[in-house]
Amino acid sequence: MTQVQLRSISKRFGGFTAIENIDLDIRSGELVALLGPSGCGKTTTLRMIAGLENPTTGEIHFDDRDVSDLRVQDRNVGMVFQRYALFPHMTVEKNIAFGLSVRGTPRSEISDRLDEIIDVVQLGPFRQRFPAQLSGGQMQRVAIARTLITKPSVLMMDEPLANLDTKLRGEMRRFIRTLQQRLGITTIFVTHDQVEAMELADRIAVIFNGHLAQFGPPEDLYRQPVSVDVADFMGASNIFPGTMTGTDAVKTGFGTLSVVAQPGMADGSRVHAMLRNEGIDIHPANVEGGDDMVAGRIAARDFFGATVNYVVECGAERIIVNEQSRRLLDVGMEVRLDIPAERVWLMAG
Amino acid sequence: MARRSTESLASRLSPFQKFYLIIVAGFVLGPFIPLIIQSLAFRWAWPDMLPGTWWLEQRGKSMMPLAWDYVLSPYSRIWEATLNTVGIGLAVTVICLAISLPAARVLARERFRGKSAFEFFLSMPLIVPEAAIGIALLMMFIRLDLAGSYFGIIIAHLIPTIPYMVRMLTAVYQGLGRDFEEQAIILGASRWQVLRLVTLPMLLPGVVAGALFTFLVSTNIFLLTFFLGQGKIITLPTLLFSKIAGGTLDASAAGITLIVTLPGIILLIISERFIKEEAFGKGFGN
Repeated sequence: MTQVQLRSISKRFGGFTAIENIDLDIRSGELVALLGPSGCGKTTTLRMIAGLENPTTGEIHFDDRDVSDLRVQDRNVGMVFQRYALFPHMTVEKNIAFGLSVRGTPRSEISDRLDEIIDVVQLGPFRQRFPAQLSGGQMQRVAIARTLITKPSVLMMDEPLANLDTKLRGEMRRFIRTLQQRLGITTIFVTHDQVEAMELADRIAVIFNGHLAQFGPPEDLYRQPVSVDVADFMGASNIFPGTMTGTDAVKTGFGTLSVVAQPGMADGSRVHAMLRNEGIDIHPANVEGGDDMVAGRIAARDFFGATVNYVVECGAERIIVNEQSRRLLDVGMEVRLDIPAERVWLMAG
Repeated sequence: MARRSTESLASRLSPFQKFYLIIVAGFVLGPFIPLIIQSLAFRWAWPDMLPGTWWLEQRGKSMMPLAWDYVLSPYSRIWEATLNTVGIGLAVTVICLAISLPAARVLARERFRGKSAFEFFLSMPLIVPEAAIGIALLMMFIRLDLAGSYFGIIIAHLIPTIPYMVRMLTAVYQGLGRDFEEQAIILGASRWQVLRLVTLPMLLPGVVAGALFTFLVSTNIFLLTFFLGQGKIITLPTLLFSKIAGGTLDASAAGITLIVTLPGIILLIISERFIKEEAFGKGFGN
């Protein structure tokens, strides 16, 4: 159980600034995702926490201890690499025991802990196999077991689900989540995939161009992103520019929406309004509705099985609406969209 | 098609392919036939197809050891030359590895100013004639009192072998990601443990190939050894040269020639076995 703090961390490589003044406070036992596009500095941040890179300025604390100057070997961290980095010339057993044997742990203790961890990751039948003889999911379990056997105070993972197919992904996600909760180990992982981040993390730190854009629970990032960039990265598709009229309405290209007043959004200011796909109710045009209704026409329909997306043309704008596929509306149909004020989120700019 | 695979290799080859195989085998093995016959001859004069007198017929009659008796006797100095050759070859291989491994690591992983110039510079010993290197080294080594010493010859042998070794190991290092070493460090391994338990085993196929090559090149170097050995240190190539320099190939020279080919053949057989080992093939796909 270790609390991890980054205090004003910056990292420069020559003239290039990879990380600019990041503060991050990760609670003990928390599962945190560092999310951002490739090259944003998230992997550099992870490597600095591990000790593989040194910050140019700033400090890293584990609990109340400054570990900035500690060698990797002395930090007691664990890392699962994206491609697992299993040693190809060692069996599963040798791979997992590596961390203990290099530290000179007595044989009997190694064998006890090996039995215990192999049981946890359910690799019993594969103990004598070589990595090349394992599937992707098994390789990842070996990599996790190899890391956990040393009882690290912080566990780090690089794109933990990226190399797995859809079916395994769900299985590994539940496995990692359960294991992490059971052991209560502070875990930080890096990903460029917002779905992976939301699936796994307690809190997500979104990093753009070396800056921390937002840090919060997945639902906050999804529903209340601080900027258009974050909203866009979290997969929002309905973002429209507009102007505030008063503090509880915004004028957009397809009409005026009533909104819940948000701090800093004054009358006349330029804003962006975000409408979540699934937050909009769609009705055929002949259904009577309230004042919030926006008229439109279905231009396209994408059927996904359980859900369906409608692309609705409203004036010059296109609004994407997602709903359960229990009923299906036809392309070309005149519709009215019900957009309740509390489901509109405003962002500056 | 299934039946085809059960047929013997010979019947599957076209006439041209058979002819080609025979020609290649002839080029490789052909020169050994007169050598073997010569090494067993006492007198073999033109235009006879086979020696007029064989070594075994004359064996009891001569005061001097003949043919293989001579080759295997202390007079031929073949054991001294073999020991020198193998000893120098091993030393050169080990030192060459120790120098080339770190160099290859940097060349494979780092970018630095003047890297391509350095790579060109590295291949200079392969471009400059060996005689030029040999004479230059001799001039320096005489002043440094290294001429005629094992140390001097080993240094000289490193010059043409390091470029090959560095190139081979650079290629192998490029295939080995940083992840493995970083993972080992995070798991608590010291630098020495990382090298011994992770890096070297993973580089092993390349290291073995490079080491074999270096050893073979070293055991075959004539000119540099000849210049810098000053006649005080003989190796198999210099011994052979002194026997055949007169232009005649007698039975003892033929015998020595055959022995000179042995280290290469033995190494080739060992390496074939070694590299085929299952363990080395495993897991290098990723």
